[in-house]
Amino acid sequence: MSRRLALDVSEYPALVSGPRGGLWWGMLGLIVIEVVVFGALIATYYYLKFLAPHWPPAGEPLPKLLLPTVNTGVLIGSSFAVYYADTSISERGDVRGLRIGMGLSLLLGVVFLVLKVVEYSQVEYFWDSHAYGSIVWTMIVFHSSHVLSVVLKTGVVLALSGHGHWSRERAQGVKVNGIYWHFVVLIWLPLYITIYWTPRIHG
Amino acid sequence: MATLEPAVTPDARAGDPELLERTWGSPPGLLGWLMEVNHRRIGRRYIATGFALFLLAGLEALAIRMQLAVPENDLLGPEVYRQFFTMHGATMMFLFAVPIMLGIGIYLVPLQIGARDMALPRMNALGYWVYLIGAVTLYTAFLLGVAPNSGWFNYPPLSRREHELTIGIDVWISVVTILEVAALIGAVGLIVTIFKQRAPGMSLNRMPIFVWSILVMSFMIVFAMPTLMTTSIFLGLDRRVGTHFFNPGGEGDPLLWQHMFWYFGHPEVYIMFLPGLGMVSMVIATMTRRPVYGYTPVVLSLVATGVLSFGLWVHHMYATGLPRLGTSLFTAASMLVTLPTAVQFFCWVATLWGGRPRFTTALHYALGFLVIFLIGGITGVQLGAVPFDLQVHDTFFVVAHFHYVLLGGVVFPLFAGIYFWWPKVTGRLLSERLGKLGFWLMFAGVHLAFWPQHHLGFMGMPRRVYTYLPEMGWGPLNLLSTVGAFTLAAGVAVFLVNAAVSLRRGEPAGDDPWGGETLEWSTPSPPPVYNYRWQPTVKSRTPLWDPDWGTQPVVTGLREDQREMLSTTLLDARPDNREILPGPTLVPLVTALATAVPIVGVLFGLHWVPIGAALFFVAITAWNWPGAMPHRTEEPGGREHRLAQREREREEAEEEAGS
Repeated sequence: MSRRLALDVSEYPALVSGPRGGLWWGMLGLIVIEVVVFGALIATYYYLKFLAPHWPPAGEPLPKLLLPTVNTGVLIGSSFAVYYADTSISERGDVRGLRIGMGLSLLLGVVFLVLKVVEYSQVEYFWDSHAYGSIVWTMIVFHSSHVLSVVLKTGVVLALSGHGHWSRERAQGVKVNGIYWHFVVLIWLPLYITIYWTPRIHG
Repeated sequence: MATLEPAVTPDARAGDPELLERTWGSPPGLLGWLMEVNHRRIGRRYIATGFALFLLAGLEALAIRMQLAVPENDLLGPEVYRQFFTMHGATMMFLFAVPIMLGIGIYLVPLQIGARDMALPRMNALGYWVYLIGAVTLYTAFLLGVAPNSGWFNYPPLSRREHELTIGIDVWISVVTILEVAALIGAVGLIVTIFKQRAPGMSLNRMPIFVWSILVMSFMIVFAMPTLMTTSIFLGLDRRVGTHFFNPGGEGDPLLWQHMFWYFGHPEVYIMFLPGLGMVSMVIATMTRRPVYGYTPVVLSLVATGVLSFGLWVHHMYATGLPRLGTSLFTAASMLVTLPTAVQFFCWVATLWGGRPRFTTALHYALGFLVIFLIGGITGVQLGAVPFDLQVHDTFFVVAHFHYVLLGGVVFPLFAGIYFWWPKVTGRLLSERLGKLGFWLMFAGVHLAFWPQHHLGFMGMPRRVYTYLPEMGWGPLNLLSTVGAFTLAAGVAVFLVNAAVSLRRGEPAGDDPWGGETLEWSTPSPPPVYNYRWQPTVKSRTPLWDPDWGTQPVVTGLREDQREMLSTTLLDARPDNREILPGPTLVPLVTALATAVPIVGVLFGLHWVPIGAALFFVAITAWNWPGAMPHRTEEPGGREHRLAQREREREEAEEEAGS
């Protein structure tokens, strides 16, 4: 029998974070899939816009800017809170900082959703009014359901912190939840520009 | 020669087959079956389910051919015929081709890269359950007589509510959505596995070509399939809540569907045959006993095909009155995509030319693929040109073209792959005599069935008509085509006999019946549940053909009383961390059911959507709750924490030295 060398890996870590762990790549895969979906929604918006004689259709006012712009600020703020939570636990092992950051991001996420409901309870058209209404409502409902789901997910992360689950070494779940949160915030920016600015720049 | 024995083992128990069997095995009985997470068992289920659906779609095709065999036939009638050709197309595209290729990838990729399992085993199981639910839903609707009936690409306005009052279109929307979810789950699992679990030393440029083809396919799924989901949901919204995406009366546009559908649909064709190209490369290399000529151009061609396929969709829409300049650009792009395919053809021919090929059944199918796919490719170039396309659009010429492409590009490579890897999967050989008989029947059947359809197309016979008048003169060629379809079916039947005989009393195959070059041939047939007693390392593209393969180092030091495997870095495959995997669990099945509640439930009422979403949240929370794996439940200060801490200190020291 021939003699073989062995590659001993017993001292390699099992607790890794970021791109070293498979979970991070799995989440990145989900994010890419969702980017394609949002891209398809935006492409549909412009496709319908360039076919329509008037955009928004005759009789519909331009979308109001103030509330959604403030609300965009709220959403961007939540990303900073998530970043604070992530670095608190993964760089300092600070569970309290994690909870403060997560709690603040949850609050901002809920504020965003409430303001969206307020905003769209004031518009005069619905999804069945015309193609403009169809695509705008679809974009808003689709994105808001993402905010809702990432709020719920973050609630789970927060609940686990009560069980003492997170530590400086074991922070991959926080990180992976964090990149999804940042994605939900970042993808809102092209939607915001599409829905609120496009009809003003090119009516 | 096959089993690797390390000279140095840090732990006396290392490489203990009994312990590994206990750790990686599944619980017995029905419950164990439902809890399965092993990649090979799940891959086998994909392949078996996909093959069963292939047979069903084949029976549907035979019924279609019987209806068309003679003029003014009334065997099926218009409504049943509509359902049959829709079911045949939808089954072949969504339920057979993509899932079976995913299944083969799920089975083979971890073996070929020297891993013990997929990177995300529970997600892998979830993908299969979701796929199964989609298949069962579609065929339940078929049995109840409410199958979709507007063709596999389901164009509005035909498929919008005012024209189509049956529930069949809603079934199509739900089933397609759920199948896309399944394919996306499978694709992400494969990408992560290929990125993170390759054997030490298997840098990207040493990956087997089949693994490359699966990687490219998975990326294409990720970028193409979400578009179909989006547009299907638009159609569902149009039908259920009165949106106007495809309604010209509400400033929508039915052509939007065609753009979004074919933006998915054209890459879909390539998604289906890229793994076939990968399989053919493996078969040709092993059967000529030399590495494929031009590894780098072959791999780059696979990647280029994948990228270019996203710029071709309009060539399905030449007859819709789009601007001429636009269609010309898509003609150019359609010509362009032939180049990477041609590069691969020349590389295969060069491999065969300089070698001494062994004409096994697997190689027969690979060569059959070359011929049939070439013909389909040539008619594809013809159809890519606008003036030609406008003459034969929506005629049987198109039917002939894509059957040559798909039988050539998917079914023949699939059979090449089945004959090639059957001994590895089952441990038994298939009969070469029956195999070659089946091959010649299938090869003759394809040409008999589909060559005449080119002529029928030129004679003006449109697609999707359920019958025609005798005066049209289409009768004789249609009859010939039907005879061909039955010849093809006879070839498939011979394979089924061959498979049944082999399972009962086939000759034992041994580890490596063909003298293969990739890692899967170094482990027993069928492989043990843990795949490799020691995870291998490699230093070339054809590790088993290395003269010093017998002394190649193996991986040791992984705990064997829990599911541990080695993760490596993305580009160079240097050892990076130990991945601790979850064991058998019901969570994937429960999550699949929760996924199905909103998507299938919407057929019965919109209120199922929020109910399903809530169930899904509960399931996914249970999924992520820390389980029994030590690194997820250990108190800070335990071994895993200490190892991670040491790793961090090492990284920090490296950073400091670097700056």
